[in-house]
Amino acid sequence: MADDRTIMGIFSDEETTLSAVRALKETPWSIENVMSPIPSREIADELSTKPSRVGYFTLAGGIIGFFTGFALSAYTALQWQLVVSGKPIVALVPFFIVGFEFTILFAVFGNVVGLILKMKLPDYRGLADHDSRCTGACFCVVAVCPVSDEQKLLNFLKNSGADTRILS
Amino acid sequence: MNKTAAKITESVFFNRSLLRMTGVSIVIGLVSFIILLSGKHPERAWQAYLTNFLFWSSVAQGGLLFSAVMQVARGRWGRSLTGPAEALAGFFPVSFLLYLILFLGYKQVFPWRYMELGEKAAWLNLPGLFARDTAGFLILYGLGFIYLYHSWAFRLNRKTDAGKTREYLNRLWNSRSVDPDRFRARMTLFAVLYIIAYAVILSLIAYDLIMALDPHWYSALFGAYHFVKAFYMALGVLIILASILHMNPQIPFALRPSQFHDLGKLFFAFCLVWADFFYCQFMVIWYGNISEETAYVIARTMASPWRPMAWLVFIVSFGIPFLILLNRKIKSNPKWMSLLSALVLLGLWLEHTLLIGPSLNPHVHTLQLGIFDGLIFVGFIGLMTLVVASVLHVLPELAESRISEGS
Amino acid sequence: MSENANPLTFGDIDRRVLATLAPASRGYWAAVGLLAFGVLIGAGCWAYQIAAGVGVAGMNNPVAWGTYLINFVFWVGIAHSGTLISAILHLMRASWRNPIVRAAETMTVFAVCVAGLFPFIHLGRVWMVYYMLPIPNQRNLWQNFQSPLMFDVLAISTYLTVSTLFWYTGMLPDLAVVRDRSTGKKKKIFTIISLGWTGAQEQWRHYTRAYLFFAALATPLVISVHSVASWDFTLGVVPGWHSTIFAPYFVAGAIHSGLSMVLTLMIPMRRIFNYEKIITIDVLENVAKAIIFTGFIVAFAYGTEFFMAWYSQNPVELEVFRNRPFGDYAAGFWIMAVCNTILPVVFFFRFARRSLSILFMVSILVNIGMWFERFVIIVTSVSRDFIPHAWGLYAPTWVEFGIMIGSFSLFFFLFVLFVKHLPSVSMTEMKEMLGKRGGHGG
Repeated sequence: MADDRTIMGIFSDEETTLSAVRALKETPWSIENVMSPIPSREIADELSTKPSRVGYFTLAGGIIGFFTGFALSAYTALQWQLVVSGKPIVALVPFFIVGFEFTILFAVFGNVVGLILKMKLPDYRGLADHDSRCTGACFCVVAVCPVSDEQKLLNFLKNSGADTRILS
Repeated sequence: MNKTAAKITESVFFNRSLLRMTGVSIVIGLVSFIILLSGKHPERAWQAYLTNFLFWSSVAQGGLLFSAVMQVARGRWGRSLTGPAEALAGFFPVSFLLYLILFLGYKQVFPWRYMELGEKAAWLNLPGLFARDTAGFLILYGLGFIYLYHSWAFRLNRKTDAGKTREYLNRLWNSRSVDPDRFRARMTLFAVLYIIAYAVILSLIAYDLIMALDPHWYSALFGAYHFVKAFYMALGVLIILASILHMNPQIPFALRPSQFHDLGKLFFAFCLVWADFFYCQFMVIWYGNISEETAYVIARTMASPWRPMAWLVFIVSFGIPFLILLNRKIKSNPKWMSLLSALVLLGLWLEHTLLIGPSLNPHVHTLQLGIFDGLIFVGFIGLMTLVVASVLHVLPELAESRISEGS
Repeated sequence: MSENANPLTFGDIDRRVLATLAPASRGYWAAVGLLAFGVLIGAGCWAYQIAAGVGVAGMNNPVAWGTYLINFVFWVGIAHSGTLISAILHLMRASWRNPIVRAAETMTVFAVCVAGLFPFIHLGRVWMVYYMLPIPNQRNLWQNFQSPLMFDVLAISTYLTVSTLFWYTGMLPDLAVVRDRSTGKKKKIFTIISLGWTGAQEQWRHYTRAYLFFAALATPLVISVHSVASWDFTLGVVPGWHSTIFAPYFVAGAIHSGLSMVLTLMIPMRRIFNYEKIITIDVLENVAKAIIFTGFIVAFAYGTEFFMAWYSQNPVELEVFRNRPFGDYAAGFWIMAVCNTILPVVFFFRFARRSLSILFMVSILVNIGMWFERFVIIVTSVSRDFIPHAWGLYAPTWVEFGIMIGSFSLFFFLFVLFVKHLPSVSMTEMKEMLGKRGGHGG
């Protein structure tokens, strides 16, 4: 919104970031984003993020793959119905391997599709405000406050031990 | 020494009601065994005996393997669980005794004695088998006890008074000084030796006591299949034991949900490994279609009367746990995991019967499993419970979780 | 015994790894050139074989499978320990693997690429591979999905796809780091391939979950792929091949050779790139300990096979297992037995596990031994199967040697190109490892 300020605070380690995030939650200002070079379970817990649903895509892919594998091998065997080496035409024992490989393959495809959809990658727009320190050694907290509180937020972040940058 | 009406030192582990329950079940098992033995088909009695002896010995051997592997791999999450796992190893002396008793049934348990063996008789002869398997058990259990000696030096505090047995054990450790570093190094060494012995000796037992029942059949993976299955079973029993200890408020044993989760994941992993080892044998034999090999598999999985049992084993010990354990939350729930483990163990008990039964009862038309087999199983459950409770009673430190370990 | 005196910081890691991506020296390009030359030798021999026919290789009756299969299984095996390190050890939360994850995963991808070439090479008429792909066609021709060779097609393609996706996904955060520290054309390229990664919590949330699933899926895949490769042999009735133990035995052997290749790659790499503080001697020691374990499994499998051959009292099996140590290819057998099972015992001694020269030497010898293991399994069994008058010998020809040189060159060529253009150590995983040690204990 036009009368909001977006300010990024850049912290040098996880501990100070955590305490800053906890403190920020007490204030009326909102936390828009937190960037970090490594995943942090504690920060995710503080931000009350829900568990990711990527797994459902993976599971769906796996189930589809399992049946595809069996279906493909059974269908192709039934086209000519040739008895090979005395084995049954639709032989479930070896077809299990086909089903298994397809299960893994399609589960991985589901995983990747889920990841792309959920992360909304590739997304180059977020790079505009990106600070290169966030992928290196620093943790970046992006907070939003009304214009009037700009100095208060800046001081708050500086007191918590961060470098600051005004994004918009 | 007061030998009459010995006062049982009671504890939360070992009390009159437990003694009564296990005593009753053991008696039931014994009576059922004798009934079967004196019936028309004494081989049924020995089938049940062999099944249960192998089943519970595997649980004990696998239990100690858990502790040994945790020691070698330095897995921190499993430290609290090594106590109950080592308690399972208390069954070793009982297992050895049961092994010796097995030979009383030599007429039924070794059907190859009546068959044409040719050169194979150099391997399959009673004195040779007895000698090497006895040596095997002694080596395995010996290494296990040496490992426990070192492990318990760290775990036990010397001052508890829980009866004469404990006093004797305390003297064992107090008599020599314990240098922590050397003991730890030796503990790791004996853990490694136990692991190697586990693989070799359990394979030997599998070849001699299960595979040899059909002496002209062989499968190179049979030994590995047996020791993988043993670990799978041991994990199931460990889940049940850990859950019981955890859920009892009087016992200072508590696990974090993440530790139950890890144990559940390991259980799931070995469910897959066991099924994979089964499939490797089945697939190769099915595909090669060589009659010397297929007869064994057909009798157990495709021909009646054993076919329904094979499917039951597959569904109960693989199908159901596979589908259920895909779910994340259930692995951290001790009650449901115990239930699932109990189901899996039941299936694996059937699996033992499935391997042994057709060889000891060839050419039968009805399933060789009845009420008495079940009662003998109950008897052995009682025996195992009694042994584990006694071990925990004498060594209550095994049921203390180490809360300081991070995970 | 780790470098506690001078702990690494996040910035140190970034700087060390990014320094490896600086423009390369003449020596580097000379090495690349040499390896490219080796690749060309292989390509030339292959081209000659396509023109002249697969008969210029040594495979014939009775030994129809020779170095092409040996190399195929060898390279698939090498690929496996990369997935072990990146996937299985991730599930086991063994953080000592973090310094070598990226290189190991890369090793997997390139090894599968090289392995995947060999079925093509072995075909002779390479275009015939069309008939192995389930593409609907006018003649309604389909593959025989019961054949283990078809399982191979599926397993190897799945493995290549999954490994590449796993490798790329794992690299995403690192590619963003490179993007943020580079300029000009390099920055543009890395901006594109890092897909706009910013390290936001939303991204990490999905990423860590997906990575866990990747690891959980890659684990059974690894086991299945080498089991499938072993079933190429055991599903037939050839004596010495038809054995139920092959699947786990091959998987263990694969990890054995792969871990050794990890050592072979890591030891020079850490020297050349000054990674000593990142890929510490402790990491290498842990790899050596794992090699002891896999060596035992391989030894156990050898022992079991010999025992079973005797126990079976099958005259053909007995002859095969007498022929292996004492027959025409006895030299290969003893190289295999000594290098794979006896040599790793030296790692029981701590000084050996922490000595770079011993680690390097043993790793090379184990790989030689594992190559010969496949040679012994494949060639001896087929050179003497059921009918004595059909027994025969096999020797590789210069075409096969050329292609082998090409395959090894291709692998190292790809790897050497990789280390200079993409981050060869996972900065993200290293920082995670440091983060755990630094801030929160345990």
